[in-house]
Amino acid sequence: MSSATSSWLASAVAVFAKDWRCELRSRYALHAIALFAVTTLVVASSSLGPLGADKSQAVTVLPALLWLILLFAAAAGLPRAFVHEEEAHTSAALRLAAPPSALFAGKLAYGASLLLGLEALIAPLYLALMSLDVPSPGLFAATLLAGGYGLAAGSSLIAALASQARGRSTLFSVLAFPVLLPLLLLAIELTRNAVAGQPAGVALPQLLLYDASVTVAGLMLFPFVWNP
Amino acid sequence: MNASMKRALPYALWLGMALCIWGAFFYAPLAAAFIGQSSRILFFHVPLAWTAFIAFFTAAFWSAVYLWGGRKARHDRAAAAAVELGFLFGVLATITGSLWARIMWNAFWNWDPRQTSIVLVLLFYGAYLALRSAVADREARARFSAVYALIGVVVTPFFFFIVPRITESLHPEPVINADRHLDMEARMFQVLLGSFFTYTALFLWMHNLRSRLMALAERAHAD
Repeated sequence: MSSATSSWLASAVAVFAKDWRCELRSRYALHAIALFAVTTLVVASSSLGPLGADKSQAVTVLPALLWLILLFAAAAGLPRAFVHEEEAHTSAALRLAAPPSALFAGKLAYGASLLLGLEALIAPLYLALMSLDVPSPGLFAATLLAGGYGLAAGSSLIAALASQARGRSTLFSVLAFPVLLPLLLLAIELTRNAVAGQPAGVALPQLLLYDASVTVAGLMLFPFVWNP
Repeated sequence: MNASMKRALPYALWLGMALCIWGAFFYAPLAAAFIGQSSRILFFHVPLAWTAFIAFFTAAFWSAVYLWGGRKARHDRAAAAAVELGFLFGVLATITGSLWARIMWNAFWNWDPRQTSIVLVLLFYGAYLALRSAVADREARARFSAVYALIGVVVTPFFFFIVPRITESLHPEPVINADRHLDMEARMFQVLLGSFFTYTALFLWMHNLRSRLMALAERAHAD
């Protein structure tokens, strides 16, 4: 590995570690997204009852509901990573400390790990509360992994954009949802297949393609957002 | 091109539009299996949708030129004007499509894949326009919206792969269809081809006007 690559990687890891350290000190995003997700889950489950008992309804409704909960939880917590830098006036120091693409990679790794952790908490709870059986657990796990990562990748780039503009919180939702829509459609379709016990089909490669293209676009475009 | 030729261009465009409209109603025959005169809306609907896509690609092109080509304000204006016009043409394509759907499918709206995709694309570019109005600083606005427009060309094509799988389509075969077979009467095809050309020219003319108007507005604002 050349020294340029290793210093890029070191910067990315440093940003990732810094974000987690900040997060564990304040626990703002952790509490916000975990409580948001659990609250929505409880509201949905208590008002709908164990919907999973009715198979045909479960396959149509429940996957969409799960991804809506994850989407809004992500929207509640992920923009924090960039808004925090603006509020604490640390973005100037960060611009000096790390190359923009390494910074983006670090923030993305932080967002993805946060979201995958949330999924590890929410998904089993969701299946239990809705009494939903998953005949293809492998596909279900793959969808959560690829979908959670894509949700973090799309959100990170948009969060960087929105944190620099007026009306941050509303702007994030307006900008992020059209970008995340293809991911949601694919993730819901794949979760349906997992719940119905059907094969993944072409949707899984498409979801991976979405993840890859958003990551590449993020690494290429983030420097323009970050550096004036 | 000299000044008098430049002045003649809008008149040529006017003549071209008049010919397209005349051709749509009086030259092209009616398509089989369409109710009444409803197939004639094809000559408006399809070129409008086509132009919307030309406009969105134009916006992505000027956005990339803005980011990598020296950050010129006129490139940003060109991108913004293209999105505005693409939005206008996209909305008109949606409306003409709905009118036709009311006649053929007996409902203005039924979430046909084509209808769904265009709404999702318009949602994206609506967000682009919201982003422009949310950033006050001219330079930052240009940078952010250029980035967002380029995210658009990465993300929006996914709709056209995903959405058709979700619902069945009743939409007539696209003009350029999968088996590369042109299934259209010759005179209809002539009018449609002429319309593609003329509507693209109309877009370029409007785009030029809108970009210049934006430049004047910025100058008036700065004084």
